[in-house]
Amino acid sequence: MGRSYIVEEAVEGYLTKQCEQKAGPVTGLLIGQSSTQREFVVTATRTPQREEPLAAGDSPDKQWVTEHARQVSRMLPGGLSVLGVFIVTDIDAKDSLATLRKLVFAVENLISSERLWNPADDDVTDCVALHVNPKTRKTFCRTFDIKDPKSVAKPADWKYQSGVCSSWSTVSCSLSVDMLVPLPDDRTDLEDMDKCLKEGLKVWAHQLESAVCLIDGRKLSEDMELVGGQKRNVRQTYTAQLLITPDERRATDVVQRCGGSVSVRGAIHSRAYLHSNKPKAKLAEKLLKRDAVSTVATRAQMLLEELLTSDGESKGSGRDRPQRELFCLPHRIFCPVKASGPVCVCDYHFSDEGLSVVTDRLKEMLDIDAAEKDLDTRQETPAEVLEGEAAAEPTVETIEALEPKRNRYIGVAMATVVAFLATAASMLYLNDV
Amino acid sequence: MVVADSQSSDTGTILRVRGPLEFKCHLDSTDARLMHKVISRTFETLQSQVKSESCVLTVCDSPVIIWPNRGVYAIPEEITPNTLCEDIHQWIQSDEQEAAGKRSAKKKSKKSSAASVINLRLMMEATKTGRPLSAPILSRTVHKSHFLSTTFPVDCVVRTTVNETIKDAFERLLEALTHQLCEMEKVTLQHIKGTTLLVPQPLHFLLPEPKGLVTVVYPAGVPDSQLETQRKELHQQFELPDDWPYFRRANAYHFPNEPYKDGYLRNPHLGLTHPTLDNGKVYLVQGFYSYHHYMQDHVDDNGWGCAYRSLQTICSWFQQQGFVERAVPTHREIQQALLDVGDKQASFVGSRQWIGSIEVQVVLNQLLGVTSKIMFVSQGSELASKGRELANHFLTDGTPIMIGGGVLAHTILGVAWSETSGQIRYLILDPHYTGAEDSQVITDKGWCGWKGPDFWDQIAYYNLCLPQRPKVI
Repeated sequence: MGRSYIVEEAVEGYLTKQCEQKAGPVTGLLIGQSSTQREFVVTATRTPQREEPLAAGDSPDKQWVTEHARQVSRMLPGGLSVLGVFIVTDIDAKDSLATLRKLVFAVENLISSERLWNPADDDVTDCVALHVNPKTRKTFCRTFDIKDPKSVAKPADWKYQSGVCSSWSTVSCSLSVDMLVPLPDDRTDLEDMDKCLKEGLKVWAHQLESAVCLIDGRKLSEDMELVGGQKRNVRQTYTAQLLITPDERRATDVVQRCGGSVSVRGAIHSRAYLHSNKPKAKLAEKLLKRDAVSTVATRAQMLLEELLTSDGESKGSGRDRPQRELFCLPHRIFCPVKASGPVCVCDYHFSDEGLSVVTDRLKEMLDIDAAEKDLDTRQETPAEVLEGEAAAEPTVETIEALEPKRNRYIGVAMATVVAFLATAASMLYLNDV
Repeated sequence: MVVADSQSSDTGTILRVRGPLEFKCHLDSTDARLMHKVISRTFETLQSQVKSESCVLTVCDSPVIIWPNRGVYAIPEEITPNTLCEDIHQWIQSDEQEAAGKRSAKKKSKKSSAASVINLRLMMEATKTGRPLSAPILSRTVHKSHFLSTTFPVDCVVRTTVNETIKDAFERLLEALTHQLCEMEKVTLQHIKGTTLLVPQPLHFLLPEPKGLVTVVYPAGVPDSQLETQRKELHQQFELPDDWPYFRRANAYHFPNEPYKDGYLRNPHLGLTHPTLDNGKVYLVQGFYSYHHYMQDHVDDNGWGCAYRSLQTICSWFQQQGFVERAVPTHREIQQALLDVGDKQASFVGSRQWIGSIEVQVVLNQLLGVTSKIMFVSQGSELASKGRELANHFLTDGTPIMIGGGVLAHTILGVAWSETSGQIRYLILDPHYTGAEDSQVITDKGWCGWKGPDFWDQIAYYNLCLPQRPKVI
């Protein structure tokens, strides 16, 4: 029995538009939510144009496609994820299957390698590979089980429907983050900071995983259904509360030598969308917690990537005299996918940028035409370095909050990928499946 | 070092809050004064966390969650600040309640005499409501230094009075929490050596009424032997006699319904009804012991090990009152000790040879440093006249007695004796039991029970080993 994809009507129009491209094959990503019974596709976005567009006979650039997927994945709040890949090409569906398969696995491998939370047993592991014939407009839909590297294509249903997500629920919260991790004794450069931060985030993710979750002030049992979403166009929003307790530590090396420390302090707005087919409290909790971890990790990752490319090594030796640098992490901005539904995508905004950076990026990555007034900037306020904080430790030489040079278009992101090629994570996704 | 919960003994439930509090800081300098400042500042942060609106107490095994600093707001909504503490029990699902139908009514009524405890978990609410807060700031400090990271095991107890509301009780609980953090700070700063930091560990001790439950914070890793000065101060503070180690770690209060990690039964005699004799009084073993008997620990000593088991019961008493740290010896270790003092030949070790009271005395001395008196009766019928001596033993020493004679060894845990009528009963713990650790069976079938003078072989001679309790704190 194959998977069933319920697809937003607007996606049909979008795919049709891609068929009208004159040039070579068009690839892109399908975005939505999985559930055990069926998948919901909410939107689609084509792979951004390269400087030299592909000619008719070219095969898609796997690195380009997967990097696009990685960037897009960071712009999806909880409950939304990249479900798979589409290709619009007049090459026969059977022949393009191999290409699609490579792309689907590469995309999924890259995205999951960046995840800091553990997959759950009830997660769906099928990804979709959609082939569209530009002349006939016919679609061929297959799925692959990405847990099985030898997986073969299984046929799946592809059905269009209007208002797929118009009555989806939203669960959200404002979560405070307070992390402090040591840097190793003799290595304090950016890669070490990256590793230490990831470790700290994993510990925080683990705490969140076992946190008690209250929805609208009540503790619901796992299998209880969230009320609402049954009437069309009635939006349900829920507020969550998370109660955490630290992991108990065995008192073995209580004090250790270190080369410094990194802290992340502030608050983030976390959000997850839930399909309207009787979603359970357990799902809401899982998706919200994952979003919380992802949004902090994404921002830290964005900061590190930019420091790397802008040669942001710490100035001076800083070994004897303590040196402290403060960086403002970007704040989160939401943008609706469609004018009528509740579902939004998000992006991250540094306070000294104009909002046009965000709208440009939404256009490039997600092919969304948004105006600045459509953006929801009220969920978080920009980070502020308070006077008191900078002067907190007189023995520490504080370099005022650095705003790293930013150029977050995909071209620059690709350069960063090259910089990261030495790391194992990248090697993983580049291996052919 | 201590908080005393001085309520009268007609009290309601005990509220116990436990939870790890993360303690992390960057120690820029190893200069002692600066380290102290950083550590004190981190404690201030913990204090404000505990006093903040984000502090949450969840009742274990129940849906009840309480915010003590938000006007004692609670969920489910049926619970208000004026709800009585004892009403919280209704919300708690315990395994006991599920099996209630299967247990006998008799057993249930006995359990209610123990103090009931409501266990709470200390948590922090990480989410905030209200206006959006600012996005995170990442701060990187580069400096060759030290990093301190651990969790402190907060463990606070408050004894509520009957009809006390949760509003009042939780206010007291918050005070106890902040006080404990102060104590932890003192102990931490007191015991820093260079860059070594000892984790402050709270323990509760049950003092004779009306003092009740008292909490002491000890530095982890410092053995009892090095903390004698502190214990002396505590004895003075609470006006306690100097001949019982109330404050040794092993004597920490064991909360009801907390299972023992080693699986042995503790004090099975507590479930018994004591005999009433004309003008008689009951004299019992003081403190705690474990019941050791045939077939335990995968050792098949059926038929020969009874004296060994009685000796193990006695050793467990000295361990649990904190007089020794040594674990209860195995049969082999007992035999080896006798070989070591020259009391036996090498072939003894690994054999199934019986031992008697003299050997028990020797081993107690060799392995535990405990001296014992030996009492001899030339025939079992004479035991009926030993009431005064046995009573005195339980009054002054309070240790279990090993008695061997005929072909059997037993443990005497107490005596009921009438000075006027001479009537006597003996509380016997029988090491010949071969079954599982089921206190119901053990008391119902008399493996731990009161026996009359005809229990003894009237003709055989008996030796009793009466271990002496060291008079130390």
